[in-house]
Amino acid sequence: MRTIAILVLGLAACTGVKEAPPSVPPQAEPVVAPPAAVAAPPAAVVAPAAVVASPAAAPPQPATTGKETVATAPVAGATAPSKDEAAKPAPPPVKAPAKAAAPSVPTEPSRKDPAPSPVAKAQEPPLDVAALTARLRDTKAIGTFTKLALKNQVDDLLGQFRAHYQSGRKTGIDSLRQPYNMLILKVLSLLQDSDPALARTISASREAIWSVLADPEKFNSLT
Amino acid sequence: MTARTRASVLIFPLAALFAGPSPAAEDATLLKDLTSVIMLLGLPCGQVVSAKRQADNDHIASCKNGYRYRVFVNPEGRVVAQKQ
Repeated sequence: MRTIAILVLGLAACTGVKEAPPSVPPQAEPVVAPPAAVAAPPAAVVAPAAVVASPAAAPPQPATTGKETVATAPVAGATAPSKDEAAKPAPPPVKAPAKAAAPSVPTEPSRKDPAPSPVAKAQEPPLDVAALTARLRDTKAIGTFTKLALKNQVDDLLGQFRAHYQSGRKTGIDSLRQPYNMLILKVLSLLQDSDPALARTISASREAIWSVLADPEKFNSLT
Repeated sequence: MTARTRASVLIFPLAALFAGPSPAAEDATLLKDLTSVIMLLGLPCGQVVSAKRQADNDHIASCKNGYRYRVFVNPEGRVVAQKQ
């Protein structure tokens, strides 16, 4: 029994000696534990100090090594300041995520805002036949003879549309699409070098003009 | 007075010479116009290289391919290109 007691006491003493040093840190751990639970704050506090020391290395590591630095820093330094620091830094990290989250929310809407604008730009402007006619008449990209010849051909095409509608046929308007396209191509070929802006406008208005020509009511109101 | 007279003698002919578009520019514009008309009417030409004015709105156009067209405005107001 004595030997057993001696062995047990000896083992206990041995274990006690070995466990004694760790027993201190465990006491420190619970003390640090509250800061550890707020691991981010001390890290944030350490980070500024590190920023002063080595600005480049400190910022990237706060999240990963934050707990380790907190565990060592309070032990190395006084415990009281660690508490103060733990108390002080608590708000900043809370503010930091709040600030980080706050801008992220507005940025998304701001990104969404410009998105619809291209869609709005994609909408074609309303067709203004009178303005187009005036621009064609005033452009210097086409000579007098050519303008007169173009006018003749436009009148011929309009005459074909008029004859089609007067004939009473409600189908077959697509047969006039090819001469219409040919005339538009001729106009574009004449304008594209000397008056590209007008050429672009006419090209963009191509379908709108056709929609007017292909609709008997719109055509009659136009002519 | 003599100096002013000399100056005016020099200035007026020069002003008359450089005033308005040059004949070459007019020619280039007319040739381009005739080329466009002939192309618009679907006639073979390529490019009008010279033109001879016969009357108002009436020209003989010589094409690069050797063809010659009389381009004029008929009484109905239509532009016509007649092969010569």
